[in-house]
Amino acid sequence: MAARRAGPGVCPPRALPPVPSADEIPLSRPKKRKPKGKTPLDGIVQAAVRRQSESSEPLTPEPPDAPPQRKRKKKKVPADSETSFTQQNVASLFQNGNGMDVPEAEETVIRKQRRRAKKPRPAEVSSNELEVEEEDIIEDEHRKSPDQQPVFAAPTGISQPVSKVFVEKNRRFHAADRAELIKTTENINVLLDVKASWTTRDVALSVHRSFRVLGLFTHGFLAGYAVWNIVVIYILAGNELSMVSNLLEQYKTIAYPAQSLFYFLLSISTVSAFDRIDLAKASIALRGFLTLDPAALASFLYFAALILSLSQQMTCDRINLYTPPSENGSIWTAGTEAEIVHSWVVVNLVVSVLVGTSWIFLSSRPELDHSEELMFHSEIEEFPHGDVIPRVQP
Amino acid sequence: MLQPSNYSLVLFLQFLLLSYDLFVNSFSELLRTAPAVQLVLFIIQDIAIVFNVIIVFLMFFNTYVFQAGLVNLLFHKFKGTILLSAAYLALSISFHIWIMNLRWRDSSRFIWTEGLQTLFVFQRLAAVLYCYFYKRTAVHLGDPLFYQDSLWLRKEFAHFRG
Repeated sequence: MAARRAGPGVCPPRALPPVPSADEIPLSRPKKRKPKGKTPLDGIVQAAVRRQSESSEPLTPEPPDAPPQRKRKKKKVPADSETSFTQQNVASLFQNGNGMDVPEAEETVIRKQRRRAKKPRPAEVSSNELEVEEEDIIEDEHRKSPDQQPVFAAPTGISQPVSKVFVEKNRRFHAADRAELIKTTENINVLLDVKASWTTRDVALSVHRSFRVLGLFTHGFLAGYAVWNIVVIYILAGNELSMVSNLLEQYKTIAYPAQSLFYFLLSISTVSAFDRIDLAKASIALRGFLTLDPAALASFLYFAALILSLSQQMTCDRINLYTPPSENGSIWTAGTEAEIVHSWVVVNLVVSVLVGTSWIFLSSRPELDHSEELMFHSEIEEFPHGDVIPRVQP
Repeated sequence: MLQPSNYSLVLFLQFLLLSYDLFVNSFSELLRTAPAVQLVLFIIQDIAIVFNVIIVFLMFFNTYVFQAGLVNLLFHKFKGTILLSAAYLALSISFHIWIMNLRWRDSSRFIWTEGLQTLFVFQRLAAVLYCYFYKRTAVHLGDPLFYQDSLWLRKEFAHFRG
């Protein structure tokens, strides 16, 4: 205590260590100087550890008391000055560099540390070294937190007065509004979060639902197209099919395209209707038929319409290749035109009715989809995700 | 574990091949005047069916159920798709050979007989069923339950062993 009170006037002759001879210079000296390049905290920690190791070495030829004290003094002064310097830096960083004021709580912490840093000095003089070293170690732990704070606090820059930031785009810096930039980055983060939680089940469900929407559109389109087709046929055929030859002449150019479009739309509609009822599970599909489920009825009607439409392929080709029976090479024989066309018109009428009825059934409950319920939810309900056993890596 | 991006890609490829199949089935008759074009379209269609079958089998191999040795479970679950695919491929090849054989010399000739009409109807009906079952299988294989260990799988395993 007395040595400390005497102040710097007394200290200099004591602080200067005796110049050691070449033999006395310990081999670990260069190692001791290394920490200076590091943070002051590291230096303090290493010094404390080294002191412990030095004090625990009983085989040193030097007397146990005096030399360690000298070394400690020599190290302590720069260590303290360094810590105080960093604390000042911290304070200045908060005030100047970042435009942030140091909170009072932090200031008190820093003052406390200063006080604690000075405390060991009188203890150094005392013979009890162990207490001093323990305090040093505790101080190191406390000192870490304020040193780390500016590192994390600096880049946030929330209270930075400049509202514009410069963002590099296409190798050029463009001025951008800070608030907007934060909003966009938040949006990107939200998008990334959504994408991260996107599973194969979601992909499958979205595809399934997309196809259901497509099917819903196709049902309506097919019903409308079938009605248009039958109306055109009846108009061209005249009253009670009196103008069959006129119908064949006019219709032969569109017979095949119409048939092809019919098959295309009927295929999508039938698959969509099967999806609604989940035809693959026969028992459920049968139950749907027996309970007159709209989706089951529509599936049946679409399938019947498909068979009827396909069965007219030969007639369609015959109409497509129509030439009057009087011409050479005609595949039409006189007198059979009305008979062939009559059955074809009736089948087309039936197909139109079936397709229209199916559309009414399905559009009455557009949300009805047994396939989605059974395919994606039945097994999950039976074995919820909590039951999933994590895969064990060998 | 199957990644959503990979699964999306596979699903896209499967749907592309299915769409091509449907497109050729619907509109190939409109190209009857060019038999060579029609032949190429038919060959690609048959190859597309084979590709689709290969893809679905590769997806089977990728499942945890298959890797756990429960091949029968997968085949039992999707036997409709496998059988229909095989039947549809056979019907398609038969129909393509028959119709191209008849139309190769004279494309504007009336070629339809009762047998060809029947084969045509069956081939087109099988195409619709194949499309439905294949689409269902492709979507169903996106269920993560097939790619991880679960109580369902253990129960099935016990059922098969017992």
